[in-house]
Amino acid sequence: MLSPYGLDIVESCLTCKMRSDRIFCDLPTAALQSFEAIKYATAYPKGAVLFVEGQAPRGIFVLCKGRVKLSICATDGKTLILKIAEPGEVLGLSATVSGKPYELTAETIDPCQVNFVKREDFLRFLKDNSEACFKVAEQLSEKYNSACHEVRALGLSHSASEKLAKLLLEWSSKNGEAAKQEPRLKLALTHEEIAQMIGTSRETVTRLFADLKKRQIVQSKGSTLVIRNKVALKTMATNG
Amino acid sequence: MESAIQPRCLECALRPDRVFCDLPTNALEAFDSVKSTIVCPRNTVLFREGQPARGVFVLCEGRAKLSVCSESGKRLTLHIAVPGEVLGLSAALSGTVYEVTAELLDNAQVASVKRKDLLAFLREHREACLRVVDLLSQDLHIAYDRVRSVGLGRSRRSRALPA
Repeated sequence: MLSPYGLDIVESCLTCKMRSDRIFCDLPTAALQSFEAIKYATAYPKGAVLFVEGQAPRGIFVLCKGRVKLSICATDGKTLILKIAEPGEVLGLSATVSGKPYELTAETIDPCQVNFVKREDFLRFLKDNSEACFKVAEQLSEKYNSACHEVRALGLSHSASEKLAKLLLEWSSKNGEAAKQEPRLKLALTHEEIAQMIGTSRETVTRLFADLKKRQIVQSKGSTLVIRNKVALKTMATNG
Repeated sequence: MESAIQPRCLECALRPDRVFCDLPTNALEAFDSVKSTIVCPRNTVLFREGQPARGVFVLCEGRAKLSVCSESGKRLTLHIAVPGEVLGLSAALSGTVYEVTAELLDNAQVASVKRKDLLAFLREHREACLRVVDLLSQDLHIAYDRVRSVGLGRSRRSRALPA
């Protein structure tokens, strides 16, 4: 079925081909059938806000297709992007489980398919399905790991150049390019968004990229970034 | 240690006040059979950031400092854990390395459970698994709050939410 946003919507988790690659989705058939009965498959355009930091939790959002930006915001409008969530992730999980307000704001950066489950239905589902409960614990563990990583990167990096170098190396390793002599990565975010990921200004990011290019540490080819001098970038990531 | 060692969770008077510890009797009996109770002096490092996760440590008495460290050795405290908290949970569940270093701030009593035993225990006892999900959610809230204070210079407590 095609949605207005050009998405090929997968209506049933039971027939989803991507299921086996995704921690939460790969549930036993009985649990999946229960999940099917409580989920609402929805499609969102780019730029839709799924939930806002501070809102009372309505439920969880399983990201089936597309990417979602997770951010926190200061009262002065300063935004910090914590993560770009990928398909398979369950969003709003800790708030839904604990009943505390959503900790983050979730905004789609692509057209997305999302399966929404109401809080009370989800809590009942977890009580009845131990395997699902275990998978939720695994997802929460991953999120905790990622949050600790974020604290380390923000709190213990000395400079914006160190943080940017770490981010580029991290992206190249996620793409499976880390072992290559000259890793490549697609820059899917704007300089403004990269600045929000490392807690600096857009101007600083633009200046740092210009400097990296001038020193031939990186090279831009359209939206692809080639890391020409991995050693130099690693030195920057360690020493700032 | 000021108080006597409490070897069995079933007999612990503090249990009802602690999320993980207040389990049904059969789950507690099973937990008692897989845990080892140890008494550790202040400054003991229960686990270090980057070490493969061997298991979890339930803090029965005493406090522990959870911190992260940079390559240059600079340290940042993430949280001060209090009795009733389960340390090393996310690393033990995901089978990765410990994300933080846990160092005791007081003389403490700790119940340790090996990873393999913990996983079997959680699969066997759904109620315990639900408690673990609760605890992980709380840990995540604390970690996000720390991200907020480090990255944006504020904490959730400082914000007033509209009613």
